Amino acid sequence: MFKQTLTLGAISVVCSVAAIAQANNTPITGNVSSKCSIFTDTIGVYGNPTPDELSTKTADGGIDPVIRYDVTVADKYKAKISWPNSFSTSPSLSDAVNWDGETTVKSHSVTGMSAYEAAKVEYENVTEFDLTLAGSTWFSVESEATYGVGKSLPGGEYKANVVAECIAD
Amino acid sequence: MTKYGYAAALTLFFNSAAAHELTPTYPEVKPSYIDGVSIINMKMWNRRNDAKYYEINVYDKEWNDIPFASTEKILKIDYLEHKNFHIYLRDEDTAMVTYICTTSKQLKQDVQSTGIKSRICSRVK
Repeated sequence: MFKQTLTLGAISVVCSVAAIAQANNTPITGNVSSKCSIFTDTIGVYGNPTPDELSTKTADGGIDPVIRYDVTVADKYKAKISWPNSFSTSPSLSDAVNWDGETTVKSHSVTGMSAYEAAKVEYENVTEFDLTLAGSTWFSVESEATYGVGKSLPGGEYKANVVAECIAD
Repeated sequence: MTKYGYAAALTLFFNSAAAHELTPTYPEVKPSYIDGVSIINMKMWNRRNDAKYYEINVYDKEWNDIPFASTEKILKIDYLEHKNFHIYLRDEDTAMVTYICTTSKQLKQDVQSTGIKSRICSRVK
């Protein structure tokens, strides 16, 4: 009887050790590699404050598009954001459209990213930001289109594209 | 956590954002099984529910196009799908290759008032 109990006890100990060993042998591994993701956070909408103007400004009844950039490793990427300078969809237009816009840092996940706004480089319709810190940055893009001189925009659907680029340094 | 951190966390929580990703950031040019041809392996992840077509482009450091071959020049990647793709280059062009980019191509009917065209470029060093 004693021998049988001893054998069962030994088997139980071996099984427990095996179970512990098995429980300890389930590793989860991960790797954070350099990566840039562009998120379309808010889709913009044009307001029509005057007959000859389309604008995404809130004061003009529009919504500014917002784009989020996530970078996992600092100082590896540059963001290039272009406000529209043509319509992708519009009725037939017989006069010139004057385009204007502005790209600004709307929000950020790391305090130091507030410096992006002062350090931005603007040319033509493009604004460049060096993404020198890891984390998320939200950029707001304002777009305005004014038609001809004293002419109303023809009725119909108007669409334009913001181009958001993330380029490895 | 700073107030910006809380704002970012809240925004992340409440917004249903959609993203475009291209990895690796710094791809390597490797010899392929075809003589005189090199290969670059890339991976895309489409988290944009408003775009499922992405164009591949290869450029030199001055942003001039470099000829390449791939199974598809325009990738169809469904929402939340990962896709590995290969870029084949002539050996004589490999020294010039600097940027490999994917650009979202939205269908006309998918664009709302202002669409967002995203482009991510990896760099061959």
